[in-house]
Amino acid sequence: MSLKITCPICGERNGYEFVFGGEEQGPRPAQESLTPEKWCDYVHLRRNTGGVQTEWWSHRRGCGQWFTIRRDTLANREIKSSRENE
Amino acid sequence: MFLKYKRLWSESALKSSYDLVIIGGGLHGLATAYYLAKDHGMVNVAILEKHHIGFGGSGRNTAIVRANQRTQENIRLYDEGLKLWPRLTKELDFNLMFFNCGNLNLAHSEATLNALRLQVATAQFHGIDSQMVSVKECKELVPALDISDRPRFPVMGGMYHPPGGIIRHDAVVWGLAKGVSKLGIHISQGTEVTGIGIENRKTAFVETNKGKIFTPRVLNASGAYSTLVSAMVGIRLPIHVLSIQAMVTQPLKPILNHVVSSGAYHCYANQTLKGEIASGAHMDPWPNYTNQTTAHYIKHQAQALTELLPCLKGAKFMRSWGGLADMTPDMAPIIDGNDPIHGYYMDCGWGYFGFKSAPVTGKYLARYIASECCPEILKPFTLKRYENYRMIGEIAAPVFYGPWN
Repeated sequence: MSLKITCPICGERNGYEFVFGGEEQGPRPAQESLTPEKWCDYVHLRRNTGGVQTEWWSHRRGCGQWFTIRRDTLANREIKSSRENE
Repeated sequence: MFLKYKRLWSESALKSSYDLVIIGGGLHGLATAYYLAKDHGMVNVAILEKHHIGFGGSGRNTAIVRANQRTQENIRLYDEGLKLWPRLTKELDFNLMFFNCGNLNLAHSEATLNALRLQVATAQFHGIDSQMVSVKECKELVPALDISDRPRFPVMGGMYHPPGGIIRHDAVVWGLAKGVSKLGIHISQGTEVTGIGIENRKTAFVETNKGKIFTPRVLNASGAYSTLVSAMVGIRLPIHVLSIQAMVTQPLKPILNHVVSSGAYHCYANQTLKGEIASGAHMDPWPNYTNQTTAHYIKHQAQALTELLPCLKGAKFMRSWGGLADMTPDMAPIIDGNDPIHGYYMDCGWGYFGFKSAPVTGKYLARYIASECCPEILKPFTLKRYENYRMIGEIAAPVFYGPWN
C-alpha cells in the first residue's frame, strides 16, 4: 500500500502530494562556533533509522505547510497516535 | 549417467574467530572475499549474510553494466569493472551471460544534449568508447523508437556507449559464491550481525544470532542496511535508503538490441536474453526499508515505455519487484577504512549502481584490506569528502529528498 500522510491542515492525503524534508535533528547549529565537521554533521550525516523516526514533510502539492510526523520506516506507515505540528 | 553432483558452493559452520568478517553476502562482499583469496591468499574469512546471498540489491537489479559516468573518479573504476566481466567468466568457469549490446542514453532537450557532451568528453579522454549520436542514428540503433514529435518529450539525440550492456546478475552472485567457496572462504546464510565489539578503537569481535566471532577486521558491505550496521560502531553516514522498483514484461521476440535509457522519462529498458523487456527504475523519494512496488509507478512506467517504444503497447508486465538503494548526496559510494576505528572498513552508499562496480571494487577493497593501505583509485570515495566539501560531481543538482527542499 502506498504511503499516506496526514497534513495538519488538509487531513490525510496521498503521499505523493508531499515532499520529504529530512529527519528531525534539532535546530541549525549556531554560526559562531561552526566547524566543517559540525556543519557536515547537520547537513549530511543521518541516523536513517529502521523503525519509527520523527521527520519533516511539506505538503508541496497542497497547502505547502511544513510539519513533522512520526513514521515507521520499516513498514512505511505514519504513526498517527502522536503528531507534532510545528 | 547418475554421477554424483557437487553443489556449486557450500555453506560452512562458523568458527569462533576469523581474520576478517564480511557483513553482507551480496556482490560486494562476495567479490571482496574472492579477490582476497585469489590475489592475497587471505582465506581465513567469513561472509555473514542475514538472508540468502544475493537477496538484496545483487539479486534485484536490472543488470545493466556501463562505463559512461560523468566524473573521472567514477569512470576509472567502472571502466576497469566493465573489462573484468569476460575475464571473470573465464576465471569462475561460470556463464555470466555478459552481452555487450551497447547503451543508448536518449536526450530530449538541448540542455541534456549539452550535458551529455560533457559526459562523452570525460569518457573519450579516458579512451572509453562513448559518442554523441543524432536522432537518425538513435532510430537506426533502436528501430522501435518513436522519433516523431508525438511523444511529450521528443528525442533530440543521444549518447551511445558500445562496450556497455547487460549481464545475468544472479549468475554473477552464484559464480562468485562458487569461486569464494572453492578458495576456502566460509559463507554463512541466516546469520545476522547484531553488534560489533570495539576495544581501544580497534575492531575486536562481532555479535551474531549464532554467537560471538572474534575478528580484528570487519567489512560493512551490507548495502541498504549499511547505516544500521554502521550505527553499531557509532558512525553516521550521509545515506538515505530509498526503495527502488523494476519490472519485466512477458517474453517478446527480439525488438531491442541495446539498453535504452531516458532521463526525461525516468526510465530505461533492455531486452533480456529470455526476451523480456526489463525496465525501471523509480524511487519513492522518502526513506523506507520496505521493498514495496506501487501501482503509481507501474502506470508511469507503462506510459513512459509506450511513448518511447509504441510497439510495446499491450504487452503485459509479468513481474514487478522492489529493492533498496542506499543513496548518497553525490551519487558516489562511500569506501573507507581504519578511520576512526582500526580494522573497520565500509563499502556502501552504492545507491542503484553498485552492481556494475562489484568485482572491480572487490578487487581494490581486497588490496586495501590486505595491505591496510588505500589504493589510489578508491581514495576519492572517503567519508571525509563531505566534511571537506569535495563531493564527487556526478549530479549537477542536490537530491530532492532533503531539508533544503
